[in-house]
Amino acid sequence: MVDVTLPSLGESVTEGIITRWFKRVGEAVMRDEPLFEVSTDKVDSEMPSPAAGVLVQILAEEGDTVQTGARVAVIDEHAEAGVVAAAIVAPSRETAEVPDGPVPAPAGAVTGVVVSPVVRRILADGGVDPSIIRGSGPGGAITRRDAERAVTNGPTDEVVMKLSNAQRRMGQHMSLSSQSTPHGFTAVEVDGSTFSRLDELGRTTRDGIAITDEAVVALAAVRALGEFEYLNATFAGDELVVHRTVNLGFMRVVAEDGMLVPVVHAAAGLTLRALARRVSEVDERLASRQLTTDDLMGGTFTITGAPSIHSLWTVPIIIQPEVAVLSMGAVRTVPVAVERSGATIVEVGRRVVLGLSFDHRVCEAVAATHYLERVAELLAGLDLESEH
Amino acid sequence: MKGLAVANEVQQFDVVVIGGGPGGYAAALYGAAAGMTVALVERDKVGGTCLHRGCVPAKEFLETAHVRRTIEHAGAFGINTKGVSVDFAVSQARKGEIVDRLYKGLSGLLKGRNVTVFEGTARLDVGLIVRVVDGADAGVVAHGKNVVLAAGSVPRTLPGFDVDGKFVVTSDEFLDLSALPARAAVIGGGAIGCEFASMLSDMGTQVTILEFLPTILTGCDSEVVNVVQRSFKKRGIDVRVGAKVSGHSPKKGATTIAVEGGDEVTVDMVVMSVGRRPRTEDLLGEGTGVVIDERGFVVADGYQRTANPNVFAVGDVVADSPQLAHVGFAEAIVAIKTMLGEVVVPVDYDRVPWAIYSNPEVAFCGLTEAAAKEKGYEVVVKKDPFGGNSRAQIIGDTEGVVKVIAERRPDGTAGQILGVHMAGPWVTEQLGAGYFAVNWEATAEEAAALIQPHPSLSETFGETLLALAGRGLHVG
Repeated sequence: MVDVTLPSLGESVTEGIITRWFKRVGEAVMRDEPLFEVSTDKVDSEMPSPAAGVLVQILAEEGDTVQTGARVAVIDEHAEAGVVAAAIVAPSRETAEVPDGPVPAPAGAVTGVVVSPVVRRILADGGVDPSIIRGSGPGGAITRRDAERAVTNGPTDEVVMKLSNAQRRMGQHMSLSSQSTPHGFTAVEVDGSTFSRLDELGRTTRDGIAITDEAVVALAAVRALGEFEYLNATFAGDELVVHRTVNLGFMRVVAEDGMLVPVVHAAAGLTLRALARRVSEVDERLASRQLTTDDLMGGTFTITGAPSIHSLWTVPIIIQPEVAVLSMGAVRTVPVAVERSGATIVEVGRRVVLGLSFDHRVCEAVAATHYLERVAELLAGLDLESEH
Repeated sequence: MKGLAVANEVQQFDVVVIGGGPGGYAAALYGAAAGMTVALVERDKVGGTCLHRGCVPAKEFLETAHVRRTIEHAGAFGINTKGVSVDFAVSQARKGEIVDRLYKGLSGLLKGRNVTVFEGTARLDVGLIVRVVDGADAGVVAHGKNVVLAAGSVPRTLPGFDVDGKFVVTSDEFLDLSALPARAAVIGGGAIGCEFASMLSDMGTQVTILEFLPTILTGCDSEVVNVVQRSFKKRGIDVRVGAKVSGHSPKKGATTIAVEGGDEVTVDMVVMSVGRRPRTEDLLGEGTGVVIDERGFVVADGYQRTANPNVFAVGDVVADSPQLAHVGFAEAIVAIKTMLGEVVVPVDYDRVPWAIYSNPEVAFCGLTEAAAKEKGYEVVVKKDPFGGNSRAQIIGDTEGVVKVIAERRPDGTAGQILGVHMAGPWVTEQLGAGYFAVNWEATAEEAAALIQPHPSLSETFGETLLALAGRGLHVG
């Protein structure tokens, strides 16, 4: 028998909420296969199975808060799937197990919204999906009146969507930040010829890691912070705590589930090659839902890439307890006015808009603009050949 | 004795059901069908009041009365019989056989689904422990992951009318009579009272109904009540409403009931039908968390959950639930599906089907015209008597009416159907279409577009719908 325990979720985290079991008692599980999902106030993580075998006991139900290190399940490495007695499942109404009996459980138990034929037709004619209507009938059943209202007014005024943990965490942080910090914003349009040079050199490092526009700007942003230390800092009332290391956060959208800001720690002094690798490692953990709380802690400055190739700029909200966040638009290919032999002519060139949201208690627009211009200079002067 | 060999051992089940009436056995069968391990504790016989002392035997007697009526009217069909005599002992025996067959069928069904049936009275104790406190399986202790309370109800009586089985009977005793009285007073003119009055009258008893409220069949649409009242009057049933009674004085073989402000009534038997009270005394031990209201009913939510989330209640014990067997069935299904975590819609008590098997029969679903207006609806109402229905004329039973109430749209036309009310031949079997119309929230024209077979009694409902939708074939 192998005990499954809740592993450490990061330095300052002592407990987590089990939000989902991917396996039921009696099911086989492979080693490292996702076994359960745990939610903390920072992140939802999938926890891999520590062993191959059959899940024979679940000790923490979905919704239970569990201390790190506590036993949450037992895996039998020698058992066969399906022969485990269902009786050892902890009783739970929500997850009541139906043991195999002489009469099989009805196949395909009803799921989803139960609607009357009349309501179904009204909604179908009106092109409204029943699943997004909150019914006013018994048990939330959709009545004819609900259906007619949804078709006439659109269902939006009646829609109630439960936010995921990640969405709620994002909302809490964003509202806390915008309420507690006076935000200022400035933006500059800068030359993007560096990206043309990068295109010529190739978009992967010599280690084979992809180089994104965001990583290139991040490199220049980190280096510029050396001269603008007060932007890599934490506001503390009458004092400003300036950080000697740059822990660079990257804004990441998790598919329909809000936003996370994983951090590349100790980013000052990294080459483009090293930074690209570190960012890709964090992104891999994000994609496989293996981010730990440590990955999300300790940021000192944040960058947010262009949401789309059409983006000019975004005005981000500062990640607390930082004092600034740099945003970039898409690197665009545009007509630019240039001086050639005393004449001003129009050529095709590259441009990108850099923006900075800053804590107005720490910084103002002139200083913020100077910082962005310094980022632009460093961007233009990057020795791509050696850093590649 | 199943409990003896394993004295004090707690037997484990997914569901333990207390009470083997319609609510209880439905929970047991439905739970077992879903693969749950189920125990059912019944103090008497599975089937409960409905099968042994209620719906089923009562309807059997009403059918006996129907057969008698048919024979009495056979001459009109050219079929001549020489007088009619009643051997009520044979009727009683036939009823007994039917009940027994259904009882055996139900017992076999429970066995076939591996439901463990304990005989005795059960009490729920703290920790979802159910103890059998008396009967053949006294001492059995069963633990359920969930428990269903389905202890049912018993007939009430009034002060001054102690049930003695001779002069004063309730449905319990009435249904075991071997001979019928010459004169009877039915106290309480609700559904049960009207069924007894109708049956007794059709079997030759002189019947007086004493109803305290201003009308019999309170809760039914007034038009439907009128049909029954007219029929009762025609058959010589003395219906007295607003009648307050406080006791009776037996003298020799008869007894006299004093009626406040009215003539006294002397009868051979008093049939009490003043409602049923929940059987919840001694049902719960200390600390179960289940809440009982001041009238003794178990408080449950729309998913039949009591204040203890692992204890469910179904059937007649449930507060504010209509005391109907089929509502008990439906509640049992809701309870089991809730336990299984399946999607389930609670029973909508305002839209359950009602069926009263008197002659004429009454069946309805949804709001009465008065209730709809009280709720603030503007209504459009159409009704069609059975008199013009060809099938009704063929069977020689044209008394009755179908009434449909719809919400009035701003342009004055009939919208959603709110209530369907019927009185007349076989309306308890005809209500189905009306039940669907109300519960599927059909409008008059949606329901009217559907065809009724010809010739059939159900055409009267179809005609009413057509008229309600704006233009009838026969009805204006």
